[in-house]
Amino acid sequence: MGVVRAEPTRVTDWAARPVGAAWRSFDIQLTVYATLLVAIGLAMAYTNSVESGSTPLEAGTTFSRGLMWAGIAAVTFVLATLFDYHWLRTLSWPVYAFQLGLLALTLAIGDGVGGSARWIAIGPFTFQFSELAKILMIIVLANYLASRESRLDSLRTILGACVLVGPPLILVMLQPDLGTSMVFGAILAGMLWMSGASLRWLAVLAAGVIAMIPIAWTYILRDYQKERLTSFLAADKDLQGAGYQLYQSQIAIGSGGWMGKGLTNGTQSQGDFLPVQTTDFVFAILAEELGFIGAMVLFGLVTLLLWRVLIAGWRSRDPFGTMFAAGLASMILFQLVVNVGMVMGIMPITGIPLPFVTHGGASLVSMAIGLGILQSINIRQTRAEW
Amino acid sequence: VNTYLDGRREPVRRLSRFVVFGLIVVLGVGTLTARLFYLQIANGTQYAALSTANRTVLEPIPAPRGLIYDRNGRLLVTNIPTFSVKIRPSDLPNSQRDEVVTRLAALLKKDAADINATIDGNPGSAFDLVRVAQDVDQATANLISEAGFDLPGVQVAVEARREYTDGPMFSQILGYTGPVSAEQLPDLRADGYQPDDLIGKMGVEKTYETELRGTYGSQSVERDATGRRTQVLQTVDQAKPGDSLTLTIDTKVQDEAETALRWAMKKIGMTRGVVIAMNPQTGEILAMVSLPTYDNNLFSRGISAKDFQKLLDNEDKPLLNHATQAHYAPGSTYKLVAGTGGLADKKISSSTRVTTKGYLTLGGTKFYEWNRRGWGPCDIYCGFGHSSDTFFYQVAGMLGADRLGYWAEQYGFGAPTGVDLPGEVSGIVPTNAWKEETLGAPMFGGETYQAGIGQGYDAVTPLQLINAYAALANGGTVYEPQVVREITGPDGDIVRPFEPKVLHKMKVKQSVLRTMRNAARNTVLLRHTYNLVDLPIKIAGKSGTAEFGQRDAKGRLPYSSWFVGFTPADPVHGSFDDADSKLVVLAFAYDSRTVGNAATEIVKYFFQLHYDIKKDYRLPELLKRGNFYTND
Repeated sequence: MGVVRAEPTRVTDWAARPVGAAWRSFDIQLTVYATLLVAIGLAMAYTNSVESGSTPLEAGTTFSRGLMWAGIAAVTFVLATLFDYHWLRTLSWPVYAFQLGLLALTLAIGDGVGGSARWIAIGPFTFQFSELAKILMIIVLANYLASRESRLDSLRTILGACVLVGPPLILVMLQPDLGTSMVFGAILAGMLWMSGASLRWLAVLAAGVIAMIPIAWTYILRDYQKERLTSFLAADKDLQGAGYQLYQSQIAIGSGGWMGKGLTNGTQSQGDFLPVQTTDFVFAILAEELGFIGAMVLFGLVTLLLWRVLIAGWRSRDPFGTMFAAGLASMILFQLVVNVGMVMGIMPITGIPLPFVTHGGASLVSMAIGLGILQSINIRQTRAEW
Repeated sequence: VNTYLDGRREPVRRLSRFVVFGLIVVLGVGTLTARLFYLQIANGTQYAALSTANRTVLEPIPAPRGLIYDRNGRLLVTNIPTFSVKIRPSDLPNSQRDEVVTRLAALLKKDAADINATIDGNPGSAFDLVRVAQDVDQATANLISEAGFDLPGVQVAVEARREYTDGPMFSQILGYTGPVSAEQLPDLRADGYQPDDLIGKMGVEKTYETELRGTYGSQSVERDATGRRTQVLQTVDQAKPGDSLTLTIDTKVQDEAETALRWAMKKIGMTRGVVIAMNPQTGEILAMVSLPTYDNNLFSRGISAKDFQKLLDNEDKPLLNHATQAHYAPGSTYKLVAGTGGLADKKISSSTRVTTKGYLTLGGTKFYEWNRRGWGPCDIYCGFGHSSDTFFYQVAGMLGADRLGYWAEQYGFGAPTGVDLPGEVSGIVPTNAWKEETLGAPMFGGETYQAGIGQGYDAVTPLQLINAYAALANGGTVYEPQVVREITGPDGDIVRPFEPKVLHKMKVKQSVLRTMRNAARNTVLLRHTYNLVDLPIKIAGKSGTAEFGQRDAKGRLPYSSWFVGFTPADPVHGSFDDADSKLVVLAFAYDSRTVGNAATEIVKYFFQLHYDIKKDYRLPELLKRGNFYTND
């Protein structure tokens, strides 16, 4: 709380000031792009359900679950938009505590493949809290950086941000979920950059991180993580082992050509040559079935979405809004590049979902929360324009 | 500084940072697009081909394995369709392996350790199927194929299995088929063998593997990633069934041989024996019995580690064909070599008399006559007929080790006969060169004496011994013995007709062999072989008693008995002056230790059965145990 105390304390700073919502500032474009991206995700869920031989609308198929989560995400988006984001500034510390709690809980009772702890079962569903934790991290960081707006040049601010990101990052690392902890790092980097922090100190920080890599490699990373990180470099050397998936996904993508094989016609997916095709490798199926054109549509939509997110950040007169937009954009961009890069064999294999498209409720709902908050920021700027 | 109307300072937003961020977005998405273009457009054709190759594979179509008949066309092995259970290790998650194997073991009523050993011994990669059980009954097969979800990686396949009609009776000859081993696989891949393929492991199944296997066909098949066949697209090559074999073996003769051997073994309590019957005019083996034996169906059904270990642990080595894969001291039967050599090298003539006595002394060592008396002056008929040791010590001494060895080799000893059965050993013919090489010293005189009477270093396989007597009986032609007579193609054409194979003709005059045949007849006439002379057929032959192993507390050595006999073409009226014999029979009674010669009784019983002699000439009292053959 020391950080907050450093501010000249005024009662009004402790509670959100009610600001009337200006609905004409609601970004329709942003909503449309997000909706189209979700539609692409649902199309991929549909093709997966058909190819696995089930009736798509039956309960329990990837598609019907996708529809349900899309519905939940839509509701969440609306609720987040209606929610006055200023309260997030007030509640920043409880939000931080909540985030750490979720991650600790996941670590304690979570399930996962091969002894990891990633999912928590809620009724018949499993939920990956680390997805939600990313959005919560953005909120906490945005509040911290906004509150230190005038001292962004100082090393203390940068170090403070690092200290804030540290505990959740370590908790995620312990799951172990290397991919998500890297997303935390990307969020931090993007937000520090956009906050206008001193280039000199950022350079020092970057150098420090690079210096840490050999240490992390030797003492922190487990063998299978190293193998995943490096296997893409020599995928063609080990086709039956770690390289198999990469090899198969590149075949899937490459065989798609300009137009693709058509939705539900992917032979790589039908034959089950491609493992985890509904989750982290969904882009391979997209490229196989919808081709270069389809993938370009996806890239275009994500780029447009990022543009709208940045626009929202630029327009925000509240530094919190700018910072939040920066964090969200960093997260989306990082996940897009790492996920798609991984599927195409130019990035290491990490379990990072493709925003909107990867089938998974937590990722989609978290994204809806993020975009909802962004819209809430959009419509709650009272800058006089007359 | 910009300020808002409500008086707050406008936040610091640096355009440069936004622009750089935007550039990073463009750079990131641009890189992805470039890579995508490279994969999909620049190399799309290549990946499309890989994608097709992924789905369609050439799968082999197994060819029906050739059948095996006896010489009269009796079917000895058939192929029957059975269910096999196979595992693809790559589809069996490690975490579930124990559970799956335990469940599978319970369903198959097998040992989980056996299944694990099979999976670990898989000759192929983790993506190749491993056969963990064969000959699974239909109910179990159904159960397993329906439990697919609980048994990941487990498949049920229909395969042909070898069913050996008579089981143990022909095991030593037919052998069996079994899974290709990890050591074999690399060499066999080029010939189209699959990691889960079966291959002849023993007997003619092994010798004639190429012919029996046929040519596998191939079909192009669409499959999914787990290798499950989704549909057969087309047959590329039809499978060509394997050729069938017709053996030289006559089931009736085989049965007579086994009956005779089993009778004596039971009577004596003996555990190991061999009987072989051959046609000396062609080298065809009519019967070959090696006991104890095993059931080759155990192997074709997939033998358990426990059963296999039991066979391996048996002291009498049931898996070994003792007729060809083991060698033993030949005892007095080997006097044929010294006798023939002495006559051929003119050390003696058919009328030369050699003095036989209680013992000979050489270098201070006494070399005893077996009856400790001898028969006084003795010609070859007397010496061979009474099986005089002192006679043949002297003849061997006259020949010397090298000439003795030469004549042994003339009879085919010291080298594999070349019979079409795997794993034949060559035996030992001791010569100076052999001893120099193995023991670093020349043969001593006493050792040559011993070699002359089939003791000491001499070692022969039963098949070599009968083949030598076959050469005697046919007038000096050493044939390569054969168990497969003809090879027939799938359409019934004879691919390879029967042809006797001559190894060599002995460099010896017919008169010498005639003398030796009549000397062998004299063995019978002199009642050295008890009442064999009383049978209504004419038999010539030679018995032998061979010591081996360690002396017991009373200084007695265990010993085995041999007998090799043959009949003229006309067994009732024929003469041993002629070399027209069509039947030579050998019996070997390992560790018999009987008061009489057990092998002679076996051959006698065989002849009774073979020539349908109603009167029983067997002398069971000779088969009592008793160490009469003591030696110091």
